[in-house]
Amino acid sequence: MTTQLKTVSLPVQGMTCASCVSHVETALKELNGTSNVVVNLATNKASLAYDPAHLTLDDMVRAVSNVGYSVPATELTLEVRGMTCASCVAHVEGALNELEGVTSAVVNLGLGTARVTYISGVVTTSAMKRAVREVGYEAQERSEGADALDRERQVREEEIKRQGRNLLIAGIIGVIVMIGTFYDMLGPLKVFVPVWLSYKWVIGLLTTPIVLGPGRQFFTNSWRGLTHGVTDMNLLYATGIGAAYGIAVINTVFPTAGFGGEGATFFESAALLTTFIILGRWLEALTRGRASEAIRKLMKLQPKIARVIRDNKEEEIPADEVEIDDLILVRPGESIPVDGIVKDGYSAVDESMLTGESLPVEKKTGDNVIGGTLNKTGAFKFNATRVGKDTALAQIIKLVEDAQASKAPIQKLADWVAGHFILGVHILAVAVFVFWFFIGFQLFFDPNSSFILSPYKLGEIGVFGFSLLLSVTVLVISCPCAVGLATPSAIMAGTGKAAEHGVLFKTAEAIENASKLQTIVFDKTGTLTKGEPSVTDVIETSNFKFQTPNTVLRLAAIAEKNSEHPLGEAIVRGAQTRGLTLVDTESFNSIPGQGVDAKVESLNVLLGNRKLMHERNVDIGELVKEAERLEGDGKTVMFVAVDGQAAGLIAVADTLKEYAAEAIRHLHRLGIETAMITGDNRRTAEAIARQVGIDHVLAEVLPQDKAVEVKKLQALGKKVAMVGDGVNDAPALAQADVGMAIGSGTDVAKETGDVILIKDDIRDVVVALEVAKATMRKVKQNLFWAFFYNTLGIPLGAGLFYPFISLIISPELAGLMMAISSVTVTLNTLLLKGFKPSIRREDKPQQDKGHLTPQLATASGD
Amino acid sequence: MEHELVEKEVARKSALIYLPISLGAALLFLFAATLFGNYPPVAKIGGAVWVGLLSLIVSMPLVTARIKRLRSPSS
Repeated sequence: MTTQLKTVSLPVQGMTCASCVSHVETALKELNGTSNVVVNLATNKASLAYDPAHLTLDDMVRAVSNVGYSVPATELTLEVRGMTCASCVAHVEGALNELEGVTSAVVNLGLGTARVTYISGVVTTSAMKRAVREVGYEAQERSEGADALDRERQVREEEIKRQGRNLLIAGIIGVIVMIGTFYDMLGPLKVFVPVWLSYKWVIGLLTTPIVLGPGRQFFTNSWRGLTHGVTDMNLLYATGIGAAYGIAVINTVFPTAGFGGEGATFFESAALLTTFIILGRWLEALTRGRASEAIRKLMKLQPKIARVIRDNKEEEIPADEVEIDDLILVRPGESIPVDGIVKDGYSAVDESMLTGESLPVEKKTGDNVIGGTLNKTGAFKFNATRVGKDTALAQIIKLVEDAQASKAPIQKLADWVAGHFILGVHILAVAVFVFWFFIGFQLFFDPNSSFILSPYKLGEIGVFGFSLLLSVTVLVISCPCAVGLATPSAIMAGTGKAAEHGVLFKTAEAIENASKLQTIVFDKTGTLTKGEPSVTDVIETSNFKFQTPNTVLRLAAIAEKNSEHPLGEAIVRGAQTRGLTLVDTESFNSIPGQGVDAKVESLNVLLGNRKLMHERNVDIGELVKEAERLEGDGKTVMFVAVDGQAAGLIAVADTLKEYAAEAIRHLHRLGIETAMITGDNRRTAEAIARQVGIDHVLAEVLPQDKAVEVKKLQALGKKVAMVGDGVNDAPALAQADVGMAIGSGTDVAKETGDVILIKDDIRDVVVALEVAKATMRKVKQNLFWAFFYNTLGIPLGAGLFYPFISLIISPELAGLMMAISSVTVTLNTLLLKGFKPSIRREDKPQQDKGHLTPQLATASGD
Repeated sequence: MEHELVEKEVARKSALIYLPISLGAALLFLFAATLFGNYPPVAKIGGAVWVGLLSLIVSMPLVTARIKRLRSPSS
């Protein structure tokens, strides 16, 4: 029997570094029945697939807590109507408790409420309400109940508050400890400080609440991890703080024990080390949330209320309860609650929050509207077509979240390094201790030596105290917390920034691959061109009897008015856009493969190819030269004859999309090679490529062979992206290193692509590349800074330079350095917030419309 | 429930390995400190405790993870 795997995204609390990620991942992977386990430090989430036949959510929660972390539960109060007795209570509780993700449900009959404790992300409030409704009651979320966004913010704010409180306690007492420790150096300021503050036992008493209060988190977390076979950076801190505090206590209580006596009490080391580490945690909590601001912005767009018209009455209901086909009214200034099609009314809608398009988009009957966008001017009614998790906004949020939860290859490497780093550091700490104990102290110790940035002399310290100090400093200074944050924070900021500009990266790997691209292959029809033919040229003969403008086009359009041929439709559209009035034909005759013959306003109008003109003995000699020139540009030419005389010609072609040439120019500026792939004949394809500035043309390629062409380019060692929109592009999108699907394209293309360009704007390929490059640049800078601190810090901490400079770094300074490293990395990431793609920086983007020559339409497309 | 029993069994078996390793490292240090040099007894004992503690920290996760892997049916 096979069971279907379920996927779940668990929030995980307490992770601080890459090794934490590795521990949680390992713990979940070790459970029988899990697969695809990915833990992300920046989002604090663990995504995995599991077999419900072998495993329950409780097993996963327990596995995570066993290694020292927790899956936070969220509480929600539902107002339940219709309960009358104790059995109702049991029904409602039973229905809620049966939901996966609900850890407990307690119903209060008197208050008519159900207090539900659940794991957010696993079960939704609408599922709970549905479950209650299914057993015969009505449930509504209490207004004070926080939504997912608020909960996420709440958790972060609680962490900021907790670490802020710890910092306040440790900071204030730490300063007093410092004043007491350096009492002798206060000079004239001594009069303000009582002498007893300098007594070692007083300093010890002041340090104790710091270590056992704010510092306790490091001991409890590391012990929990150790008992389950995992080490994290809490352990580095715990051993560092514990050793400094332990030795200080021994030297104070038993000064003759031989550990250096009263001259070697490092209470201030323990106090300040704790303070600085907590400072780092607090700053990290403050800044970390900002990297995910984009996703919060998107979540904020989700409207809460919809005004539905039912039985001719307006009714305000929660947006998540709107059903497909509901008729919804939207007034000026209101957000559109779900996706739909305008049924009645006219307005302009600001879609910039989703597409990046700054100008409001006009909406009239039959147009699509997107949930989360803002109605600007008029009121309109629309029918809901996609609701709940199927709306475009919900899907965008999910895509961005998934991308942020995934790992780039570079991150996997960094996590592996950081995960093994802590054990390596402990081994190094043993080596440093043994070296200084047996060799270094005797050879190099100078009693006049001191700590860096401290007048504190090491004179009385013994061999054990000195070796221990260096060993502890190595532990503290080696913390890889910045390494763990370097990549996920940048990926999070990068995916958010891309989403702001209408570019959705599905995975972190797509960002990394996009940053390395060398060649971009564009599908032609629907990607570079609009995919529908239009009139490009109208030429009239010099002796044509009607000299009024557009007569040839008007007569041709009337003749084609009833035609269903794509070229005929293009001529009719061309006439309509020029404001020409099209009367009915008096007679109409279609000549298959040649054209049409019609009577228009008592004139015999003939429209078709050379063969038709030849058969009807129409002399087109004057037009042949022009026709050949236009055909050379890949256009389709149709001749028009009136009453047996050549009147002119009309050229029709597929038109290039706006900004296509501009996008290609920008790509060339970035050093990217461009290619176009199409099923069209070479002449047509080359004409298009010339106009748009494409480097290489892959013409006459059958749809099924597009992937093969991409593979051939990859075989040359190139990193290739494919940009396409159609079903037939899907294999090539999948084959390419990065598949980019145009948002207006088919669902298959969007599902296959690694990147989705929400707007139908080809310039977003440039945006995708620039954001990817900026993100990976940030990742590399972050990794550099993270490793720079450790590379510089470890030899300094291990006393490598001590024989030459007689200075060692104190544990508290090491702690401060590590705090700075985390904050540097996070602040560096935040610089991405100001990034603007070059194509968006230009105030007035170059309009390509003016010099784009439309091209030949191909009925088959490509 | 079964999961918890397995965890306990793993912890017990692991302790039987990493505790002797750590103790061995501490004793080795004590032996070396006694043999080479004229260290005060407190320094020798303190050093042995520190080396033992660090060895425990290094060996505990390695051994526990290894035992877990050996118990895992997929290994």
